[in-house]
Amino acid sequence: MQIYKILKKSNLDSLVSILSKKQKFMAPVSKGLNKFAFESVTSSKDIALKYIPTILAPKKYFMPQYETLIEYDTKEGQNMKAVVEYENMVLFAVHTCDLAGIQCLNIVFSDRPKDLNYLVRKNKITIIGLECNEVCDEYSTCAFMDNDLPNGGYDLFFTDLGEYFIVHVNTQMGDAIINDTKLFEDATVSHINELEKLREKKRKLFINQFGIDRQKIPELFDKSKESQIWDDIGNRCLSCGNCTNVCPTCYCFDVMDVQNLDLKTGKRIRVWDSCQNETFAKVSGGESFREARSDRKRHRFYRKFKYPVNRYSRFFCTGCGRCTRTCMAKISLLETLELLIKENKVK
Amino acid sequence: MKRPKIAFFDFACCEGCQLQVANIGEALLDILDIADVVEFREVMSEKWDQSFDIAVVEGSITDHHAIERIKMIRSRSKLLIAYGSCATIGGINGMKNNFELDEIRKEVYGKDYKYFDTIKTMPVHHVVKVDYFVNGCPIYPPEFITVLKAALSGIPYDVPDKSVCIECKFNENICMYEKGLTCMGPITRAGCNSWCINNGNICYGCRGMVSNPNEKSAKDILEKYKIDLNLILNRINMYNKCRELEDNEQKRY
Ligand code: SF4
Ligand code: SF4
Ligand code: SF4
Ligand code: SF4
Ligand code: SF4
Repeated sequence: MQIYKILKKSNLDSLVSILSKKQKFMAPVSKGLNKFAFESVTSSKDIALKYIPTILAPKKYFMPQYETLIEYDTKEGQNMKAVVEYENMVLFAVHTCDLAGIQCLNIVFSDRPKDLNYLVRKNKITIIGLECNEVCDEYSTCAFMDNDLPNGGYDLFFTDLGEYFIVHVNTQMGDAIINDTKLFEDATVSHINELEKLREKKRKLFINQFGIDRQKIPELFDKSKESQIWDDIGNRCLSCGNCTNVCPTCYCFDVMDVQNLDLKTGKRIRVWDSCQNETFAKVSGGESFREARSDRKRHRFYRKFKYPVNRYSRFFCTGCGRCTRTCMAKISLLETLELLIKENKVK
Repeated sequence: MKRPKIAFFDFACCEGCQLQVANIGEALLDILDIADVVEFREVMSEKWDQSFDIAVVEGSITDHHAIERIKMIRSRSKLLIAYGSCATIGGINGMKNNFELDEIRKEVYGKDYKYFDTIKTMPVHHVVKVDYFVNGCPIYPPEFITVLKAALSGIPYDVPDKSVCIECKFNENICMYEKGLTCMGPITRAGCNSWCINNGNICYGCRGMVSNPNEKSAKDILEKYKIDLNLILNRINMYNKCRELEDNEQKRY
């Protein structure tokens, strides 16, 4: 049985204040110029309830930009100590596209060999989703990717219905919040009907822009390996790496040692890396597997729409639109897909 | 182990990088715990006339005397670190290479210009072997310390060959292009933790270009922002003019 609760909007601030006293409470905050970022807040007035996808995806809490894996000490021999950095936190108002992004990361880091640092940290994070009642902007393709409606991956899920949020309770962690804070009421049939009405309305707002079925994408990419389109976007791309850093599902990293000033102790860290970087596919001797920018661009698209479908039966593009918003060369995911569809006459 | 000796030298520059080092603060004291600084004009008057383990060199090579002097420093030192844009990529001094040398000398020295020697601006590695590079105008102190640690423990340091945007996005800044401004970040080497953008400024490209910049597209993008081509070239050349010496003469140690 599905459990639904109600939180009056007037109680949101109490919720934030209670939860933020117990652990870090992260929520979208406005940075001006219609830009948003997840940051730590203690009051509901700092939260941007209406927001478009944040500059960085919530990925930054699950796999931080810089993360210590090991501390070493070579004063006497080689002593290594494994380190897991984590803190208890609530992630509030995560949109459905980003919930899907976190699910993708969960799949990758649970694959063998399991990534304990990631999995330990993930268990310390409580996720509260927030439904998008409207499409965020013209760059998103969440409806096409089937991420405009909740598909699990949260502890609680909020939908804004005016005076109140209707809240879906999905896990024990979510249930604990309901019980501990005592701010929630039971939902009645009329509340559920309101939710149904909103979802009905959304069906007209969230539309597939491409005119093809999502399941045709792997076929499309099978046919597109030698497409001229990769050269075209390769010629425009600056290899700045923005598109992969902002992507909720890009998880590549580099590992390096950072020594302390005593030159005897230090730590091994991992840092986000990007297939768009010149050095990413370089091997000793100076050869690079993907020297041409067009190859690197193509690789990024195949890593979203083809390879993970083969391996995990799942698309690794959530449709959040971040890569398009952030590209100063105006390379658009939506346009690129449209061109590929046109070129291959896929229906 | 014997305490390594470090000496600082400067050539054509503003000495701003020395000032950055002098201002490092606590970490500098930690360095002094493990090494001896034997010569450093910004903070001490003593001079050292013997050999040393690490020479830290600021400034570009701009006359024949400088060539002799840097060769001498190199011969006295086990390792050489070039630091600051002037020393590592020619930097601002490279703008001199936009003009005829005599034209420059007349402008600077007036009618007696013939008595003043000058040559095309060169970064240090065009004259002697450089073991470590700390790019930047001025240097970013944490990177300087990283390089010093690498030099002291004999491991290599590569200047990052990825864009400033990488670090800028790690810091979740709003992109200058989205503010309607332009920025050299996409074609400039990372390593400064996007220092300028974090503080509300654009990137001027002081750390030099990545090894394989997409200059054509960078120009196209800047042009779209209605910046005229000369200004774009000026912006790219401001720190990077000495690249041409490398392209034309393959002059590189
Ligand atoms: S954001 Fe644009 S310019 Fe930068 S690497 Fe991605 S596609 Fe290339
Ligand atoms: S590829 Fe682009 S649209 Fe797709 S998930 Fe990544 S950032 Fe979002
Ligand atoms: S991409 Fe879709 S799910 Fe994500 S913020 Fe935009 S409208 Fe919401
Ligand atoms: S502000 Fe500059 S450095 Fe930062 S992402 Fe934009 S172009 Fe790159
Ligand atoms: S942001 Fe650009 S100009 Fe500023 S220090 Fe870094 S490379 Fe130099």
